[in-house]
Amino acid sequence: MSQRKSYAVGTGLFIVLGFATLAYLATQTTSVANVRLGDTYTVDVEFANVGQLKERAPVKVAGVRVGQVKSIDLAPGKEAADVKLAIDKRFDKIPEDSVATIFTSGLLGDQYVGIEFGHARKMLADGGRLALTRPAQQLEEMLGKFFGAGGAADNLGGTYTVKARFSNVGALSAGAPVKMAGVAIGSVASVQADPVKLDAVVTLAIDRKYDQIPDDSAAAVFTSGLIGSQYVAIQPGGSPDMLKDGDELVLTQSAMQLEDLIGKFLVNGSPGEKKPGTSPDASAGKQ
Amino acid sequence: MNGRAASDNVVLRSLAQIGDCGLFLLTLLAAVPRSLRHARETVRQVWFIGALSLTIIMVCGLFVGMVLALQLYHVLSIFGGTAATGEVVALAVYRELGPVLTALLFAGRAGTSITAEIGLMRATDQLAAMEMMAVDPVAYVAAPRFLGGLIAMPLLACVFCATTLLGSHLVGVSWLGIDNGTFWSNMIAAVELRTDVVNGILWKSLVFGAVVSLIAVFQGYTTPPTSEGVAYATTRTVVASSIAILALDFVLTAFLM
Amino acid sequence: MTDSARTPSDDEALVRVRGLTTVLSGKTIFDALDLDIPRGRITAIMGPSGTGKTTLLKHITGQMRGDAGEVWVDGVNVPALDRRQLFALREKIGYLFQNSALLTDFDVFENVAFPLRQHTDLPEELIRNVVLTKLQAVGLRGAAGLMPSELSGGMARRVALARAIVFDPMLILYDEPFVGLDPIALNQVLKLIRTLNQTLGLTSVLVAHELEAIKQVADHIYLIANGKVVAHGDPNAIAGDGSPWTRQFFGGEADGPVPFQYPAGDYAQALGFPGGAA
Repeated sequence: MSQRKSYAVGTGLFIVLGFATLAYLATQTTSVANVRLGDTYTVDVEFANVGQLKERAPVKVAGVRVGQVKSIDLAPGKEAADVKLAIDKRFDKIPEDSVATIFTSGLLGDQYVGIEFGHARKMLADGGRLALTRPAQQLEEMLGKFFGAGGAADNLGGTYTVKARFSNVGALSAGAPVKMAGVAIGSVASVQADPVKLDAVVTLAIDRKYDQIPDDSAAAVFTSGLIGSQYVAIQPGGSPDMLKDGDELVLTQSAMQLEDLIGKFLVNGSPGEKKPGTSPDASAGKQ
Repeated sequence: MNGRAASDNVVLRSLAQIGDCGLFLLTLLAAVPRSLRHARETVRQVWFIGALSLTIIMVCGLFVGMVLALQLYHVLSIFGGTAATGEVVALAVYRELGPVLTALLFAGRAGTSITAEIGLMRATDQLAAMEMMAVDPVAYVAAPRFLGGLIAMPLLACVFCATTLLGSHLVGVSWLGIDNGTFWSNMIAAVELRTDVVNGILWKSLVFGAVVSLIAVFQGYTTPPTSEGVAYATTRTVVASSIAILALDFVLTAFLM
Repeated sequence: MTDSARTPSDDEALVRVRGLTTVLSGKTIFDALDLDIPRGRITAIMGPSGTGKTTLLKHITGQMRGDAGEVWVDGVNVPALDRRQLFALREKIGYLFQNSALLTDFDVFENVAFPLRQHTDLPEELIRNVVLTKLQAVGLRGAAGLMPSELSGGMARRVALARAIVFDPMLILYDEPFVGLDPIALNQVLKLIRTLNQTLGLTSVLVAHELEAIKQVADHIYLIANGKVVAHGDPNAIAGDGSPWTRQFFGGEADGPVPFQYPAGDYAQALGFPGGAA
């Protein structure tokens, strides 16, 4: 009989343990807290572009969560998305002229709505509307601005070739664009290793239109976008003599391993901070 | 039964087994109300099937979590995304690995013991003795084990998932140095209650528990009453359960996710 | 059917088998078997191995059903019963399995208490009293706390016997109760069978091979072979009956109506001698 008791006790313990872990998994490792809402009031916002914003994404003031995105709709015939924000009743002192912006948490993180306070005396009420919004920043566009996007140059006028030596070309390959001031002026004709000097010899085919490039210009291998392809950027120098066919660019800057940079950045940076611009800024400055 | 003897074809035999198994399920379900009279026996089976499987479940969960964290760390470090380790471990474990591995371990640990136990009861006339004592063996022996498995599986799956997180935390945070806060907050941000915990862990493990216990009880109950028969039946339990688990996992994933 | 489902219960025989025919996987086990088991007596059923003595017991308890014929037990025709009625009948029948069939999960006490717990809601006190009484009757009250794996074959047999009589059945069926027992244990079981039959006034059916043992307890012997009763009567009378069956069986001769050779083709031919068949 005591045998049977121990079964019952052990089984009870097992079941309690099982439900305890279930409760733990369900409450401590999920976003259930994000789903549960206290009393909230709804605010309408219109965004020109919501990017990757999803329902139930957080709404933050000064980086602290005050509510969540209730719904995202697109009214037919309109070009802007209607977003309803459910904001906790406790945070009812939000000025009416505040600005709602869609931010990205971290480089690859989810997007959220950030509210920056304005100065109006009147506070937002239920069903109110935030008139001032800033749409989602498309990371690609931002990077594109930094690095300058653009297709390959048209070769209508023919090309002349210039050589450049790099100690490291990274993933540069033939056909990659050659840019000056972010605009494509030619393409990489070939990438070869020099068996004697043990560096890479890159042949650049530059459009004849651009024949006023000083011969002390520098060439650098850059990356377009975060995980984009690499290209050669020409930074004009001050020499009165211009580059001619067959010349060699003496000043070169080898490929930066952007992955390394970002890797370090991601590991060290905390996810709440917005630092995507830091790394491209640094390299863009050199351009 | 005669049909099975007549057909040498493996396919036909398997089909006949599945058919018999389905009929057995009906008998079993019909016996469940009667087996509530033996609720104490069901409790005992939850102990044997569930609580005694805890050790293997927890040890395996720990190691699965550790190896997952190790592998993910190395792959994610290529993209500088090691902070996502906890999140990926949790999603993989909640949605697939947790229920599936628990069910496979459950089939190996509890399923075989159910089959062997019932098979031996058959071989030593214990089932016939119950019949003779006017006790229905389906209600007294088969149904409590089936119910026990049904109750134990989801609980075991929860424990497995929790120990997996513990294992990945050990390797990821304590050893490889992922930030503790990021590990948890990324996980919490990514895991959803309904799709991951309820649909992933609970529903899948409940279905797997039912299927594995059904197969185990069926194989034990219909085994030829010889030592050879019992040996074959336990093997068949593992084989049939494993196939059923993985096939059903696909179906469930397609439906639930 | 309802008319024939009941016969007067003052019938002399507790079990009446009429025209029982059973074919199992092509082999005829019973061929229109007729048999009567009188109330309050010990009846032994004997016969060569494989003649279906155990199968006959299973027919009496309804575990198996014949292809034709009737099995009347205490006035009801067993093959015509549904499961519920069958279970009601079985509560009045004790069955001692050849290998005792104790439930390995429970100790001796719980094994004996098992039928009580399943079919009654008696208070624990009363269950304890009944179980200890039955265990005392088989001389194993002291072994109440042991597990079945700790028992010898003879002890297990006696525990199974205690379990079989825990409901004070009207009929008890012994399937090979003497197999594998040493002479001491055999005599203990023998003594139990006799005293139980006398003190509880039940009807006993014994399937066994041990002629000497059976002579000591049985009031009546049926000898079954080839699906029929080939001889029956008083233990002493039947041995001297003189039919070839009884002579071979009780005389223990190797060859006779039950052939030494399993049916086979021509021997010389099987060995490859030419002309063997000619």
